[in-house]
Amino acid sequence: MTDTLAPKPSDDAFAATAPLLKADNLCVGFRTDAGTVNAVSDVSFEIHPGEVLAVVGESGSGKSVTALALMRLHPRNTDITGDVMFDGIDLLSLTDAQMRSIRGRDIAMIFQDPMTALNPVFTVGEQIAEAIRIHNDVTKPQAWERSVDLLQLVGVPEPKRRAAQHPHEYSGGMRQRAMIAMAISNDPKLLIADEPTTALDVTVQAQVMEVLHDVQEATGSAMMLITHDLGLVAGSADRVQVMYASRLMETGDLDDIFYESSNPYTRALLESIPDLQGVKESLEPIPGNPPSLLNPPSGCAFRPRCFMAGEECAGSVPELITIEGHHASRCHRISAMPAPVGVPS
Amino acid sequence: MTAVETSTYDSGALAGVSADEPILKVRDLVMEFPIRAGVFRRQVGEVQAVTGVSLDLFRHETLGVVGESGCGKSTLGRSLLRLIEPTSGTVTFGTEDVTAASKKRLRELRSDLQMVFQDPYASLNPRLPIRDIVGEPMQIHGVPKKEARERVGELLKRVGLLPEHGNRYPHEFSGGQRQRIGIARSLALRPKVIVLDEPVSALDVSIQAQVLNLLDEIQDEYQLSFIFIAHDLSVVRHTSDRVAVMYLGRLAELADRHTLYDVPAHPYTQSLLSAVPVADPRRERARKRIILQGDVPSPANPPSGCRFHPRCPVAQDRCKSETPELREVSPGHLVSCHFALEPGETLLDRTQQLGRTVDIAGG
Repeated sequence: MTDTLAPKPSDDAFAATAPLLKADNLCVGFRTDAGTVNAVSDVSFEIHPGEVLAVVGESGSGKSVTALALMRLHPRNTDITGDVMFDGIDLLSLTDAQMRSIRGRDIAMIFQDPMTALNPVFTVGEQIAEAIRIHNDVTKPQAWERSVDLLQLVGVPEPKRRAAQHPHEYSGGMRQRAMIAMAISNDPKLLIADEPTTALDVTVQAQVMEVLHDVQEATGSAMMLITHDLGLVAGSADRVQVMYASRLMETGDLDDIFYESSNPYTRALLESIPDLQGVKESLEPIPGNPPSLLNPPSGCAFRPRCFMAGEECAGSVPELITIEGHHASRCHRISAMPAPVGVPS
Repeated sequence: MTAVETSTYDSGALAGVSADEPILKVRDLVMEFPIRAGVFRRQVGEVQAVTGVSLDLFRHETLGVVGESGCGKSTLGRSLLRLIEPTSGTVTFGTEDVTAASKKRLRELRSDLQMVFQDPYASLNPRLPIRDIVGEPMQIHGVPKKEARERVGELLKRVGLLPEHGNRYPHEFSGGQRQRIGIARSLALRPKVIVLDEPVSALDVSIQAQVLNLLDEIQDEYQLSFIFIAHDLSVVRHTSDRVAVMYLGRLAELADRHTLYDVPAHPYTQSLLSAVPVADPRRERARKRIILQGDVPSPANPPSGCRFHPRCPVAQDRCKSETPELREVSPGHLVSCHFALEPGETLLDRTQQLGRTVDIAGG
């Protein structure tokens, strides 16, 4: 508990590699009776091999929809535009059959609630073995053996016995480990983890995050970590994207976002959370509520709640402006931004 | 502030209780739920959700209760108000034993003891307009209609809504607004104590701070005592004066917040605090995190001795057989551990001293 502050690790570790996934101007709209809801608007980003990209935002910010669109797991009433290149393949132009051969093999997803993501009528071992057999030409016993190995890898005790059990016999943390085992069963290049620990207790969350890190380090896969928990981000991400009302508000290296944020929403978000160290005397809440995506405010969507909004903010949606390196922010009044507070405490 | 005198709703249980005496005393509270099985639903066992919990709540104080799911914190909160009947033990409000009160008397007492629930979607009746939801407690307690209506308007204003919102229904409100409605309802009878069961955990981070600040304001304004039940340790540190940590139905540690967070003495408290990620990358990179093994055991079949011993990295033989009593290690700092950590001693120090290895992440 007596920690010293560590310096920032050497930056640009990922700049040299070609991106594994590159999304350009991704837009996702849902056609509803009340009109089109733009859940993701004009989102562009890259994920490099071995990197952890955290996508942060509140409910309705579009972070999960972004992931579902990448996986093409969106509902029928959805319009997607933009380009998504994954490892040289244009994901959005694939047929459903082609996408199925990539999903689960090259890109795997870990969902928030493992109880609804696992099939209650099959044993955990069968479900992992199925994921293996879909993409590999192996016999059932071979696939079973591999699923037992995978359960062992993610820290499920007595994996042989546990593989033959059904999901309801697992605790929440064990189920999430089983989900991770299934996700990594085909050595995916990209893991998408959507709120992987939100349903778990904090001591179990620590276990699962460690498993995820170990697995990611061992397999060298990239990870897109979708979460609302800024603590989790601080402990695991290389780069961060902050989303608000369907748009990217700020993107940058971990320390850019936490210590040198150039976006009023990011800053307000960091100000509003209570800290464990007890440094903050009072909390500075963000006033108001997130906007409805059916009827978003004109101009910058954060304007009605922003502490530094001006007249220009109502006029047009601000562009994402590059500040330095990876660091970019979407704000009209970026020049009027107060200097960053820097290191807390 | 209002034409209504506070005494209208007062249960009278606090008469003659001095300001520095506890307003609520809990002694040896036990809450058992039967486990039934078979055609005749015969009782085959029981789950002790809360086992022998004793604590005091003082005036104008916030007592935080933290713990992981299944530790009994919500059950404790509910049994304090007898929303569920405790199996044994006493809850004394002022001079009056709540656990012995008749139904009629309990209703009167509840005008002083209120609750705010976690899920603002499930705790508000979707068929009632807000004014009826907020006004219902007053209707039950026979407050004249006109007066009640005025008060509903005031309460809605106080929690940051508009009086005309009274005509709307719960589905027209966001989660944060619903929680404000729940708070307005709990305030309707001018209570002395409010049990807040995870009041902000269903809310988005940007809204959490709004509700936490509102709670802070109304506590000062109405001189309230809070029992704040939550799993988020950062939120509890921010809101509470004293904090109780629960593990599998028992109190593990109880101390004022600075002591609890800065010099935790129970191995469980230390590992719990160490597991919480903090929103500060430099700190996260620097710190070493002790990873507890396993899950919380089932309360239907709790471990012998100290209930934490199967997961405790510094447990010894005595912990397996002998249940530790809650003892005072320094004034106001209670710990139930045979081998409580000394001030400044970390769990990591202790494991090294015992020559054991633990799973450590980060650093």
